[in-house]
Amino acid sequence: MRKIYAFGLTLCATLVFFGCALQSKATDKPTITIWHWMTDREPAFTELARRYEAKTGIRVNFELYAPSDAYSQKVRAAAQGATLPDIFGILAEKRDFSSFIKAGHVLDLTPHMDADSGRWRNSLFAKALAVNEFNPGNKYGIEPGVYGVPIDVMAIQMLYNKGLFKKLGLDPEKPPLTFQEFVEIGKKIKAQNMQGMVSGWAEVWMIDCFANNYAFNIMGKDKVIDTIKGKIPYTDPDWVKVLGLFKEMQEAGLLATGVVTMVNKTAEQLFANGKAVFAFNGSWCVNVYKGMNPGLKYGVMMPPRASDKYPMVIWGGAGSSFMVNARSKNKEEAVRFLQWLTDKEQQAYLAETTNNLPANKESLSKVSEILNEFVRNMDNTTHPNVWGVSEFPAVIEAFDKGIQSIIIKEKTPEQIAAEVQKIKAREQAKKR
Amino acid sequence: MKSTLYYKAKKVTVNALIHVLLISVAITCIFPLIWMISSSLKTQETIFSDTSLIPVKMHFENYVQAWKEGGFGRYFLNSIFYTVSVVIGIILVSSLAAYAFARFKFPGSNLLFFMFMAAMMIPIPGSFVPLYVLLTKLHLRNTAIGYILCMINVGLSTSIFLLKTFFDKMPRELEDAARIDGCSKLGIWWHVALPLAKPVLAVVVVFNALAVWNEYVLALIIFDSKGLMPLQVALMTFQGEFITRYPLLMAGLTITALPIIILYILMQKYIVKGVTQGALVE
Repeated sequence: MRKIYAFGLTLCATLVFFGCALQSKATDKPTITIWHWMTDREPAFTELARRYEAKTGIRVNFELYAPSDAYSQKVRAAAQGATLPDIFGILAEKRDFSSFIKAGHVLDLTPHMDADSGRWRNSLFAKALAVNEFNPGNKYGIEPGVYGVPIDVMAIQMLYNKGLFKKLGLDPEKPPLTFQEFVEIGKKIKAQNMQGMVSGWAEVWMIDCFANNYAFNIMGKDKVIDTIKGKIPYTDPDWVKVLGLFKEMQEAGLLATGVVTMVNKTAEQLFANGKAVFAFNGSWCVNVYKGMNPGLKYGVMMPPRASDKYPMVIWGGAGSSFMVNARSKNKEEAVRFLQWLTDKEQQAYLAETTNNLPANKESLSKVSEILNEFVRNMDNTTHPNVWGVSEFPAVIEAFDKGIQSIIIKEKTPEQIAAEVQKIKAREQAKKR
Repeated sequence: MKSTLYYKAKKVTVNALIHVLLISVAITCIFPLIWMISSSLKTQETIFSDTSLIPVKMHFENYVQAWKEGGFGRYFLNSIFYTVSVVIGIILVSSLAAYAFARFKFPGSNLLFFMFMAAMMIPIPGSFVPLYVLLTKLHLRNTAIGYILCMINVGLSTSIFLLKTFFDKMPRELEDAARIDGCSKLGIWWHVALPLAKPVLAVVVVFNALAVWNEYVLALIIFDSKGLMPLQVALMTFQGEFITRYPLLMAGLTITALPIIILYILMQKYIVKGVTQGALVE
């Protein structure tokens, strides 16, 4: 029996000893703690933290928690336990973002943004800031203001392989501008047995993004918003036309085989290895393609317009954003650090080292030519988070999955339009 | 004569079919491991272009780079400490509990046992937020002990179930003999029940060691300090938001998989015995 007791005692002692030994050590230095999920940017953040400490004496501790879904769980748990760090990011829709604000976790940055005649606000891309902004009369009931700082921006556009363009007998400096030109290229792709456009359309939000670009182009923003509000049905001829574009692309040979079940990682791999003529992807792809195939020659283009009535619009805006913990005792220092982080020099460094588009408009000089091509269309960006209205998730799902059905020739655009409208009516009735 | 030939042919055919099936299963199990090792020896570029299992040029330096960049040294020690502590904790608590459930009749014992069984049905991610809040209130968040206690709790239900099933079938005469020799209840558990339960304990050890060794989401949620993180977190260093450094990730995975493969090989004899002796079935 003595052996059992001795064993038990030894185990307890070991647990206590190691448990205490492994506990984090507290330091007296002033420290700003930042939680983030951006593995790719960790070395750049660490370097910037070192520079900030050298400049101000304030230690900045970037704590990386990846992957992003585990990070999101940590942030939610920390919010419930009131242990959020000084600065953190919220990876969620605006609805969830607003619940963090309502719970008093996020500091209103408007006074800081507007200080010195709006110096901080004016230095950042307005479209990027808009994602973190709540306008007067917003449906979430949030006090109007800016609640987050974008540290980079992104835009989702089309890319084309210049080498394959040459093989098709096309000018690699002249991507198609109209949908008709696009369709003509599709015929050449089909004739040469090549693969057309690749994209992560198994992750349906990318289909939604592509379809919305054309919806804005064909019927304009107001009509899209009116549809979401329920004033225009999805059976409207303009919506049928949007859905019909996918049928046309499929028939013209513009879509790569298996595009509806393709995840974006596969699409990136195919495009980087020169196995697809077009890709539909976000500006983050620059870094991805560089890693997969540094010699890849490609260009950036807007989705070819299907109508001249309204401008072509792409999804874009803030890439990643940081929020300041309203309950933090270091909130003033945290705001000052974010001001420094989004300043011209630091943004240029981040853009140069991480190949992401900077949030600061004045930092574009150090950005690579290909990233600059993305920037050129920043004025034409939009994002569902800034529309002020949001569609029912069931309707979005039916719309996106319906497009998949059109591509695989299971259903017609008219059938999908009718089905989506039926679901919309059902959801509206539920809400009433 | 015909009949013998028929039975021989039937036996050979059935055996061949069984072997083909087993070989197919074995290949599907081994292929990912071989692919992982093969990919760990390629570069970020060749991983997308060179699809052969034997790379043209082998980059063993990926292992050194993965070890250094991932900070594997500290994380490795942490994982070993967590795994050993949790497994010992689970064995002690679950074997005592299972023995009590199997041998002692006390009011509410069935209810208590079913409560443990019901806990098996709760997915771990569903308990993250309550666990986080509880640990914060107990001042155990961001401590090794907090994590170990959580992980012991996670592994208890299944282990109690496995051990109770074994103890239920254990001959009572052995315990009576020990009692005649002067053994106390705790002594019987230590000297009789536990040694007999070795095969089941091996299953409990391997299953739980595997679970703790591969766990990272709970660790990521309750730990803030890098110095406390387990090995799996180091692997996330190579998995970016948009870019994954596959060769380093695969090298890291190979390194992390090694200890658990060794443990399995060492305990293989007991595991097979444990499973076949009814550890998993009533």
